[in-house]
Amino acid sequence: MAIRVLAICWLGLVCLGNSLTAQNLLSQPVDFACSYCLPADALVQLSRQTGINIVFSDHFFQNCPPVSILARRKSLASVLDDISACAPVSYRLQEGQVVFFRKIPKFTLSGYVKDQETGERLIGASVRVVSGKSLGAVANEFGFFSLLLDEGRYKINASYIGYKSESREISLDRDIVVTLSLQSNSALPEVVVMAPAQDERGARNPEKRQELPVSTMFGLPMPGGEADLMRLTALQAGVQTGVDGLGGLHVRGGNADQNLILLDDVPVYNPNHALGLFSVFNPSTISNARLWKGDFPARYGGRASSVLDIRTRDGHLREYQCDISAGLFAASATLEGPIVRDTSSFLVSGRATYFGPWIDFFSKRENLLTFSGDNVGYRFYDLNLKWNYIFSPKSRLYFSFYRGGDVFQNQFTQRFDIPEGLITDQYGLGSEWGNSIAALRWNYLLRPNLFTNTTLRFSRFFYQSQLTSLSTFLSASGRENLLANFGQFYQTLIQDWSGKTDFSYYANDRLTLRWGLSYTLHTFQPGALSVNFLVPGQSPLTVDSLSKVLLNNERLGADEAELYAGAEWQFWKIWRLEAGLNLSAFQIRNTGNGALQPRLRLQRFGAGGWSQWAGFHRTAQFIHQIGTFNISLPFELWVPSTAKVPSELAWQASAGLGWQRGGWRFTAEGYYKRLQRVLTFISSNSALFAGGAEDASGWEDRIAVGTGKGYGVELLVEKSAKPFTVTLTYALSKAERHFPDINSGRPFPFRFDRRHDLKIIVQQRFNSWLDANVVWAFATGNPITLAGVKYQHHTPNGDIERSIFVYTDVNGYRLPAYHRLDVAFNMRFNTGLARHGIQFGVYNAYNRANPFFLYVDSGSGTNARAIQYTLLPLLPAFRYEIKF
Amino acid sequence: MKNTALLLIALWLSGVCCVREVEIDLPAQPVKIVALSHFTPGQPFRVEVSLSQALTDAGDPTIPFNADVAIALEGKFLDKLFRVTGDGPRIYWESRDLVSPESEYLLSVRIGGLEPAEALSYAPAPILLDRVQIDTPNMRLIELTGGKVAMRVPLKIFVANLPLEKRYFAFNLAQEVATYPVIDDEIRLDLPPDEYTYESTKFLADGRTLALVYDTPEKVVLVNENFWSDDKNYLALDALIPFDPADQRPIHLFVEWRTLSEAFYRYHLSVARQGNNLPLNDPDALYNNVVGGYGNFSGYSVDMDTISLPYPF
Repeated sequence: MAIRVLAICWLGLVCLGNSLTAQNLLSQPVDFACSYCLPADALVQLSRQTGINIVFSDHFFQNCPPVSILARRKSLASVLDDISACAPVSYRLQEGQVVFFRKIPKFTLSGYVKDQETGERLIGASVRVVSGKSLGAVANEFGFFSLLLDEGRYKINASYIGYKSESREISLDRDIVVTLSLQSNSALPEVVVMAPAQDERGARNPEKRQELPVSTMFGLPMPGGEADLMRLTALQAGVQTGVDGLGGLHVRGGNADQNLILLDDVPVYNPNHALGLFSVFNPSTISNARLWKGDFPARYGGRASSVLDIRTRDGHLREYQCDISAGLFAASATLEGPIVRDTSSFLVSGRATYFGPWIDFFSKRENLLTFSGDNVGYRFYDLNLKWNYIFSPKSRLYFSFYRGGDVFQNQFTQRFDIPEGLITDQYGLGSEWGNSIAALRWNYLLRPNLFTNTTLRFSRFFYQSQLTSLSTFLSASGRENLLANFGQFYQTLIQDWSGKTDFSYYANDRLTLRWGLSYTLHTFQPGALSVNFLVPGQSPLTVDSLSKVLLNNERLGADEAELYAGAEWQFWKIWRLEAGLNLSAFQIRNTGNGALQPRLRLQRFGAGGWSQWAGFHRTAQFIHQIGTFNISLPFELWVPSTAKVPSELAWQASAGLGWQRGGWRFTAEGYYKRLQRVLTFISSNSALFAGGAEDASGWEDRIAVGTGKGYGVELLVEKSAKPFTVTLTYALSKAERHFPDINSGRPFPFRFDRRHDLKIIVQQRFNSWLDANVVWAFATGNPITLAGVKYQHHTPNGDIERSIFVYTDVNGYRLPAYHRLDVAFNMRFNTGLARHGIQFGVYNAYNRANPFFLYVDSGSGTNARAIQYTLLPLLPAFRYEIKF
Repeated sequence: MKNTALLLIALWLSGVCCVREVEIDLPAQPVKIVALSHFTPGQPFRVEVSLSQALTDAGDPTIPFNADVAIALEGKFLDKLFRVTGDGPRIYWESRDLVSPESEYLLSVRIGGLEPAEALSYAPAPILLDRVQIDTPNMRLIELTGGKVAMRVPLKIFVANLPLEKRYFAFNLAQEVATYPVIDDEIRLDLPPDEYTYESTKFLADGRTLALVYDTPEKVVLVNENFWSDDKNYLALDALIPFDPADQRPIHLFVEWRTLSEAFYRYHLSVARQGNNLPLNDPDALYNNVVGGYGNFSGYSVDMDTISLPYPF
């Protein structure tokens, strides 16, 4: 060991010594005088005078005027600089000589990569210099790339999945902005890989590394044939959901509200329809999606666990196109086209569901509707608009709008025949919730290698419900009287107005700098309840006492600001460093809160397709979703950090290795995530409820603060041998929570802790018009809290007894394992100008009854009998799509 | 109200939900002794002893008549409790000695064939009421059905010397209503009342207060310690006292203020978070300070205030 240390020290000293010798030679003082002499002559004279051999070509200085130099005790380097100042040359020490070289000027080649047919910018497209040095870049989220190259002629190659690569000769004698157009290759079988494509350049680029294979979403089997981005995301290793998607996404043991979900750079507060069975992202509009499972760059802030960054398509710049799709549950239509050819385009897309017959069918089959006149209705809808205008190659404006919502209604009537007449109780419940999102983004190229994007954003999520009941009495004589009239209205919302500016500076092919700032004005209304209870001839008791207080529920305003800077640096050919710092601040009720969040990732690219990486990331979160059931349901509330409610803090360390060769790909990554502060809502049996939501009054005093941790290993193995691809993702993980106020202060498993999570995806293309996709998913059952025994508790006077259920450990029992098999066949064919696609398939092919929750009837008198609730049985999948 | 929420979720899911009855293996739990006792200074110990039941057991709990129940004080034997048959089906074991404040008592229960159960607790020194203040100008009568009315009494319960931590309190409101003779359809307040009725008093409060107080099986209302985080030393409530103005008058409002030991507070807080064994709920683990068994052995101290109710006001 001592010998090794000595050897390393010796090597270091030798290197340092050589360097110092060279430095000493150039810094040694010289006296030199030369009056009105040509630079070449001056160099010859200097060489003679100092005895140092100086090598140069006369051509270097042939256009230089004579120089006069008088140097006393100046460094040799200083004298050389003075002599050669007139020429584009540089020099260096080489084997004891000073050798002059011609300086080659550098220019910036920048521009955009787009779809040749539609003009759509291709996010994540690769641009490579194929002649000379191997240099390259990846197009950013606006399809922009930049390369700093020496003056000369180059062959540039641009490529993107599903497109024919294009090469172009470029003579670079000045800064040039180009647009590279790629032709879609519809005849080319789609590269159906379940993780991002990882060519060498792609693997080295963080943007590319996190890309989700959006195009495969349409071929995968999903409930009702409805392609869904969140279900695609859930197929990634380390991403958990509740049963059949309900309960939100949980990345590496994080809460669902700890995911920053962005649609065109705007946060989406409720990404789910139908409580999570579908997502709000209309698949027809999605261009690109990237998922960061914790190692996200400094430019993303405000959430503790992960980032899902979704970009929508811009719309066809040259011709009108229509895309109509209909599945078993929903239908959508998309129209896009140019407003001004090659300059401005639009995209309009709408999606709506037709759940009615399904609800009717299942409700009757399961005898859920027991009252006369029972009527349950549910629907969701999405509307996407996009418009963009190209002012110049340097300037482009985008406008995005999204509005989506869910509507639920239930009415029923109960009648009671009594001797005096008939009492009729009519009940009605209506709930509605949804997101509204808008973004105005302006790209501007300040310099060929300095890209800016400025965004104005709006995001709003609301939930409201109305419950009414009307009780009437019809006497035997036919006279009708009002007995009581009850009404309840509940509303909660979060709304953001924000602005941000991002800068990307492509210093050279090895170094990219990014910095930016943002400001958000949040408005929270954690819950406003109004109650109206009228009985003829009586005072409105409830209005008088309760709703007056609750109606004035506080609307909170908060300011959030972020400043970030980061660098992506490739050095010594095989290393890549991604480093950044995010500084965020949050203010509410004149109370401030801040967090410094360093982000670091180092990757080494070895020989033979191997690479290794390690990272450390710290994150902070100032807004939180809380609710009775803590499973990210729409009526759970978004609330801010306050003096009583601290911000959530987390850090994560991860390390992994990857290998890629000959159609095989393998990655393994281990992580340890520490949630230094995590929050949960403690429900109260005595709180008021309204439309499924617990009244939020006193929410600041009903939040428990604790810690959490998650650790595990994620594996990806993929074999792609066209036309056959098989992908296996596996995660072995553990996630825990620890709250002083819960489980008697003992740690307990996180509700979405699953020890094993395995997904196998097989994709087979039979010919140009038919392919098949098979997905098998297996996961350890979710932990739940079950009571083992019970006992009775009498009141002091012995007249009332209450059953006390002995819950010994929170989440101490595991549901049976979750598994299912999905199969889909996809067909494509053309008729005239129209392209058709049909999917047939089945979700949960062997009808596995995966438990959603268990209910133990404490008074059943039977042995260990429980009722298991299952969400999705075997479901057919069908979708027809036509594009023209 | 939570049942309503669950019903709504079930309805939302009804479109795609299937309900199946399956048999599962519940976590195996051996039968254990259950001991329940809340004690207060100046009163004897009363301990209810029973045996735990399987969750699905629909029968009555087993009372072990042969239980050996004893109390030790500061580690020394104090008293062996004797069995008492109380009101209704209630059977309990009672001590001869009375409880002293701030003394640490050990309860031990032994039943042949079962693991012995032991628990340690104390009755804390009372944190006294400072005053109970009635907002007389805002007192009102609210009409109810059948000619009855409810007297709404806005009141503030002030606590003297609120501690900085361990703010473990519970309270109970009770009312005394006198029924007077009625002669010639006229209430005779000049005559002695026919009877006095004593009942618990219902109350209203703002949403925050309602969310931070919990009903308990002990007939007291537990106050979450976070309630005091606003640095107020009072609890504001609107007491509602129903009576028949034809022959009744509210006489007194009794305010019982309990200072709780941590074991009392934690136990009833965890009971309040049980969620009634409903699915999808997030029940907390039951606080249990009975080693070797289940239940709760905990003390409390009481301070009382009596308010004379004006009528008319």
